[in-house]
Amino acid sequence: MSPELLKIINSMGLWVVAFLMVSIVLIQAGLYVRQALKAAAAIQMPREKCLKGLRAGMITAVGPSLAIVIIMIGMMAVVGAPMTWMRLSIIGAAPTELTAATLGAKAVGVEFGSPQYDLYAFVASNWGMALNDFGWLFVTALFATRLEWVRKKVGGGDPAWLALLTSAAAIGAFAYLMSGNLLAGGPKAIGVVAGGLSMVGFLQLAKRFPGLKEYTLGLAMVVGMFIAAFFAR
Amino acid sequence: MGNRDQDFQNTFIRPVIRIGIITLLAAWVGNFLPCLYLYLRYGIVPPGGMILKIWVMVASVYGAFYIVEPISYYAILGLSGTYMSFLAGNISNLRLPCSAMAQEATGVEAGSQEAEVISTLGIAGSVIVNTIGVTLTAVIGAALLGFFPPFVKKAFAYILPAVFGAVFAQFAIKYPVVGLMAIPIPLVLLGVIKILPIWVVIPACVFGTIALARLYYDVKSKGGR
Repeated sequence: MSPELLKIINSMGLWVVAFLMVSIVLIQAGLYVRQALKAAAAIQMPREKCLKGLRAGMITAVGPSLAIVIIMIGMMAVVGAPMTWMRLSIIGAAPTELTAATLGAKAVGVEFGSPQYDLYAFVASNWGMALNDFGWLFVTALFATRLEWVRKKVGGGDPAWLALLTSAAAIGAFAYLMSGNLLAGGPKAIGVVAGGLSMVGFLQLAKRFPGLKEYTLGLAMVVGMFIAAFFAR
Repeated sequence: MGNRDQDFQNTFIRPVIRIGIITLLAAWVGNFLPCLYLYLRYGIVPPGGMILKIWVMVASVYGAFYIVEPISYYAILGLSGTYMSFLAGNISNLRLPCSAMAQEATGVEAGSQEAEVISTLGIAGSVIVNTIGVTLTAVIGAALLGFFPPFVKKAFAYILPAVFGAVFAQFAIKYPVVGLMAIPIPLVLLGVIKILPIWVVIPACVFGTIALARLYYDVKSKGGR
């Protein structure tokens, strides 16, 4: 990559553009926290419980966020810090964004990350990522309320069934997510099993020490990860 | 609709929709700002035909997911969770686990109004942490990698299988029968049949498990009577 391009992909203008997008994400999260606290007061849910939920989400996010940080460095070398910052703050995890950026460059006949990767290819990569991310933003903005309508129809006002339905959706989704790793065998399969077993262990432990509960998933994933990494050597 | 439902509709659901749509429309614009900036500043924009080509290329890989993912994950994420998750991304590795943990830690019943509120807070918490993480990394840069010992850096390659196994276990110990029924679906689809595209496998797993759970629920409630 030429020094001029390196300068452009890390230029102030792109930082400002990225900042605007990241701000939208944070503002949305902030508005939802405020609304959730208001709604909690209306349904007589104690503030303490709300903060516990918020904290549990934050604690659980630490491990996966560190994993993102490690992947991120590689992407920064090719599309620069600001665009990596922006794209990894919104929809499209790192592998998705890298694929979209690669396809954009390929469309204009340049290999992503090669010495031929020039400003035009960088622009094309940006179009690739933008057009791809737009797919999810478009569908969600237009159809989320319809999905709520479907959920109400299927849930049908039976709280026990609605609880099972929600849990079954999660069980099905995570059965899918873990099966790829199980079928891969080796340390990945070990990671699935170790993560699952340590989660069961930590949840049992949390019955005796309730303060532990909000850490269980965060702990289980780190334990599972290190067990898998141990066997990967 | 009960009074309580009507109140919740007004205090939560309606504002959630308003906030969601406004922020997502802003994101539509923000998403294309880099392209616009690069055009205004450097005068470079691919011709229309080229943009169309790029769009066809990315959509042929991911297009089905634009539709399948919001539908498949909706029952877990809820309305506000869907607006947040499909703006901030990282759904399987962050939003779903964080929503699940927030609900577990507070002991709310899945699918209830309380769960909807707590899930919103859990997901928002994960957005805050994850955004801080990527922001620090973007600013500090590669120097940050020096903080991680090599073994730890390598270990993070295995966090995803551990997350998936742990969240599965969290739900499956509550509904062991459903858990046992769910596992064969993806194993057969991915391990035996093998030819189905992923965008078919995801909804097949989610809605297949929901259907089996419904059967189980009907059989169990009949037996109870």
